[in-house]
Amino acid sequence: MTVKDASLSTLQRADGSAKCEHDGYCVIGAVNGPIEVMRRDELPEEAAIEINVRPAVGVGSPTERHLETLLQSTLRRIIRVETYPRTLIQITLQVLSVPDVKPTPVSFLAVLPALLQTSLLALLSASIPLTTTYTATACAATSSGDLISTMSLTSAATLASFHVFAFTAQGDLLLAESEGSFDIGIWNKVYLTAEEICRGKPTDAVEDIIMDQQGNSLQERLQAAVQSKVEADRRWKSS
Amino acid sequence: MTAIHVLLPGDIVQSDALPTSRNSSKPLTLGPGLQHELPDTITAVLGGELCVDERKNAIWVEHNGGKYNPTVGDLIIATVHHSSADFYHCAITPYTTFALLPQLAFEGATRKTRPVLTSGNLVYARVSLANKFMEPELECVQPSTGKADGLGPLKGGMLFDISLGMARRLMSPKLKEQARLIVLEELAERVPYEIAVGRNGKLWVNSGSVRSTLAVGKAVKETDEKGLGIEEQRNLVKNLLKTM
Repeated sequence: MTVKDASLSTLQRADGSAKCEHDGYCVIGAVNGPIEVMRRDELPEEAAIEINVRPAVGVGSPTERHLETLLQSTLRRIIRVETYPRTLIQITLQVLSVPDVKPTPVSFLAVLPALLQTSLLALLSASIPLTTTYTATACAATSSGDLISTMSLTSAATLASFHVFAFTAQGDLLLAESEGSFDIGIWNKVYLTAEEICRGKPTDAVEDIIMDQQGNSLQERLQAAVQSKVEADRRWKSS
Repeated sequence: MTAIHVLLPGDIVQSDALPTSRNSSKPLTLGPGLQHELPDTITAVLGGELCVDERKNAIWVEHNGGKYNPTVGDLIIATVHHSSADFYHCAITPYTTFALLPQLAFEGATRKTRPVLTSGNLVYARVSLANKFMEPELECVQPSTGKADGLGPLKGGMLFDISLGMARRLMSPKLKEQARLIVLEELAERVPYEIAVGRNGKLWVNSGSVRSTLAVGKAVKETDEKGLGIEEQRNLVKNLLKTM
């Protein structure tokens, strides 16, 4: 997993924004909200969530619409929508770059972890009340049943199945999407690998400390991104 | 410098992070970004720094971003959008529902003598009603005394956008000690000006000339964006005054 660069509040005019690089995909996201909602979309007891995904090249297609529905149903569970009834929370995600070399066949799910990660950071930057945070990762398997680590998802390889998982900070499974042909044995293996990438090794405490020092799990990267934003915000207190 | 306690949404505030003045008669106050879940769990709903005020027995999550959320009693700068029979409809933040300002909620206003405001005029107002189900209501008069207390239409000058955190800092009673702001005092020694700060992230500046108005606005905005410390603010003002 490679979250090289994650920064909050990169755009000036939006209520919240974030830029994030994940598995070779670079995505910039903006959140505006709570804003006035069109009467047609208004919900009497909660906020409506609108998501726009723009691909790196060209205009949106059914693929982007499908990604939007996946994101929408995931974020509905994360955002405390009851805090802002009869309003709209608008999330716009623009894919800036895709990896040059991709494994074949190219899955439409490949960009999903980057989109999920960016939208969470943008929501944090927009100070929208959330129930929890999450981390997302992709995982792939070949036809012989070998797992391909996310590190080499930017290399040319032939895949049999492609999976995306998202876990909440408490360790619950939030999203599981798969594409391709696989059996339950492979899925279980992929699931355990994804959990380890997102949450760090679930073994004894000694190994946890080692993980901390390396800053390896995605949850720790998330914490670090917020930490640096907080430090920038309180610069005036110490300088 | 002590370590900053950063919370993420869903994190539980441990009991050792709570204010220690437990013998105080004041109940514990939870500020923005925290939620009490029965029976005795305090969970964060925003990401940010956990701040503790021992004297007031209060804790909150400090955050600087997002849209302004109206709260009763806040002083804000609103833009009049249009007027109807009894109300001015004012914009507090862009793309949100308009706030209602009764046409008679000004000092000494009666049916015959009331300020005439048109689209685009600015008012310095207090939020008198705010809840999540209704549009907010504003007032430009203290209802108990009938006095304006500085509220009312803002004539002339120029409006600047600042961050919500900066607006809170500018409104703190001890500018230098608490908010570490000296930029206003330093400027006031050389340039006469008046300002109004709105909690919705607006700063209104009026001064004798356009040049000095812009200088004041620019000084505050730069202090905000770059998070300048006291000495840096002094240098900034010195440089700005040189060019004037």
